[in-house]
This record gives sequence, structure tokens and C-alpha cells, in this order.
Amino acid sequence: MAETFEPKIVAFVCNWCTYAGADLAGTSRTKYATNVRIIRFPCTGRIDFMLLIKAFQNGADGIIVSGCHPNDCHYTSGNFHARRRWMVFKSMLDFIGFPTERITFSWVSAAEGKKWAELVNETTDSVRALGPFTEYKNLDFSQFNQIDHEGIAEQSR
Amino acid sequence: MKELQNKAAELLENGTVNLLIGFCQDVSKRPVPYFIETAAEANILVFNQDCKNNLSVYLHKKEVKDAVKIGLVANVATLRSVLQLLSENQLGSLTLTYLTVNSGSELVVLGSAEELEAYVQANFPTCRPEDQEMLDKLNVLSREERWAFWKDQLSECVKCYACRAVCPMCYCTVCTTECNQPQWIKTSAETSGNFEYHTMRAMHLAGRCINCGECGRICPAGIPVHLLTAQMNQEIEKEFGGKTGFSLKGGYALNSFKPGDKENFIK
Repeated sequence: MAETFEPKIVAFVCNWCTYAGADLAGTSRTKYATNVRIIRFPCTGRIDFMLLIKAFQNGADGIIVSGCHPNDCHYTSGNFHARRRWMVFKSMLDFIGFPTERITFSWVSAAEGKKWAELVNETTDSVRALGPFTEYKNLDFSQFNQIDHEGIAEQSR
Repeated sequence: MKELQNKAAELLENGTVNLLIGFCQDVSKRPVPYFIETAAEANILVFNQDCKNNLSVYLHKKEVKDAVKIGLVANVATLRSVLQLLSENQLGSLTLTYLTVNSGSELVVLGSAEELEAYVQANFPTCRPEDQEMLDKLNVLSREERWAFWKDQLSECVKCYACRAVCPMCYCTVCTTECNQPQWIKTSAETSGNFEYHTMRAMHLAGRCINCGECGRICPAGIPVHLLTAQMNQEIEKEFGGKTGFSLKGGYALNSFKPGDKENFIK
């Protein structure tokens, strides 16, 4: 029996808005997909693009990046800086051909527990439809797959 | 050429510069970077179309910084790098004099940052046509085709970091590639690690790279890595405006923001 694919979603969220929003979703007993692993950051401005790359490399199938709405940042301008960085990072990934549809960017405030639950559900569904993220794995293994291991073993005997 | 040599000798003679970084020819008549400290040596200086090296990269070296008063024989790309470095407050301790040859093959001597800025703005280069052609080609491909292209290219990378060494904008004393707690960039030359490295490099140079193309030219594997930063530059110019290496108060696109920045992907 084929197992249904359950995507691993990593959510990088800011402490002040989205994390509180997720907390509200919890205290409101809103049910949402369990595929998400939430990582809390002090601010979206702290979310380095390398963290996203690392998450994908360590087996994430999809990523959510979320923080305070513009003008709502606890540190005044962290999310404005983050927004520029995301814009540049997204076009960077587009240019090297990375499947950017696996990354969902969103603004979720502390009052938007419902939006958070919907966001997680939507992202889980869309990533489930996309299937497992294999691009990075294929990068390293495709070249080895071409090696004729049997032939090499035969020769060395 | 003679004019350049005479001027260089004069500058070294009267103490305007202690060290002059320029080009001489090696045995195969190829221009190579050369450091001159006495006026007597100035007669081997050359400057022509083949002098492509971005000599501003040497300005970060301690031995060079110690000379304080430095002359630089430079092409427009190098002048742009210097301008960008000045806007990033990297060359504060140095007194720089620039020698360049303009489009009418006349020697131009620039003695101050303001003169440099005016000269660069008057002679501002556009993207090299061969690069633009490649970018246009890549941008019309599908995502999968682009991924295949870069996979093909970056699988050749052996992480020699020549692209980093040659870049005047890569002046961090500790690079992300050397951080090992955590190990951000894989040390082996696996393709996935190469993707990490080149994404990181392009992101850290986005909005700062001045498009001299040295990283692509220098790559021993022939990977056009300069296209990554060239593309980023164009994106940033389109989205946020402003050119890199254009003015002394250039600013850094990723270090500033406008509340009205427009994107179409944040839900």
C-alpha cells in the first residue's frame, strides 16, 4: 500500500505577531494541519535567507515565512527590511530555477489566528500537491547514479 | 602610454603617491597587475583594452593600506568599485589618486573622490552586451530549464573561492563560508553545496556588485557566476531604483527601505 505523502513544512515566524497569532489559533482550539514546525524568531528582520536554504537542505518540503504586517513591526522597521530581502531573494531563487512556489510569504498579526490556520492548511495542501522536494537531493546523487558501480566492482575483482 | 608613465613617475617623485598599482606586461605580453614604489620603475607601465583586472581588490590588503597614499591605474569598472567602496566607508584611511584613459585615449588624472564621482557618472558603462544576451536568454527559459542550466554549470565548481578573492566587494574578514558553527556552506564540492555558496555570494553582493565581471572571467571552471550578480543588480535597479558604484552617497538597497515597496507575492 502506497503511503500518502505528508509534507514537512517549516515556518519561520516572528515572535510578536505570527507566533502570537499561532498561539491564538491554539487557544481558540482552531484545528489545522500538523505538518508545520514552527521556529520562532525575534523579528522577520532576523530571518536570514541562509536559514531557508538550510531548511530545504535538511529535508523541508515547504517553508512559511511570516511576520507582522507592514507598519506593525515591534522594532519599527524589521519587516520592511525583511520585505526587501525577500523580494531580492525570491528573484534570486527564480533566476537559478529554484521552485519558489514552495516558499509562502505572509503577514499574520497576533489577532489573525484564523488566517494562520488557513495559511498552514493552504500551504500544506499546495506542497502536498507539489510532492516531495527532491531538487537538492538530486543535485548530489544524480551524478553518482550515473556511475556504473557494478562495472567498477567487476573490474576491481 | 608614455604620458601615463611620465605622470606616474611624476606622482611618485613628488610624493603624491607612495605606491602605484598598475599593469605591466608579462613575457607573453599579457597585462598583469604590478606594484610600483619608485619613479624609476614607471617606464614599464602599460594600459590598454586588455587591462581588465579590477585592481581595487588590492586596496583591502594590509600591506597596501600601509602605504596610505596610493595611485591606481584603473578602468571604469575599477573606478566604480572604488566609488562603491567609498560609499561603504571602506577606504577612509587612504588618499587615492586615479589614473585612467578616457574614450578619446587621453590620460585623465583624478585627485579626489568628487572628481572620481563626476568622471564615473559621465562615463557610466552599461551592461556588457554578451552578458545582457545571456541574461535575456536565461530569463525566457522555463524554471526547470534554468535549474538544469545552473545545475550543469555549478556542478563544475570546485569551491576554489577565486570569485570571492577577486571581488573588491568581498572584504569581510570572516566569510560565511568559513563559519563552521553552524557549517553554513558545505566544505566539499557537492553541487547542492555549490548552489548554497553561489546563492549566498550573489545575495551578499546584491545591490553592491558593480558588474565588473571579474568573478566570471577568473573562474577556472568557466562558470558565468557574474550573471547571478548582474541579474540581481538589474532586479534591484528595477524594483528600488539607484545604481551601484554611481555616487559617493549610493546607499545599499538592502540596508534601506521604503514603506511603499511593492511586491506581489506576500499573502
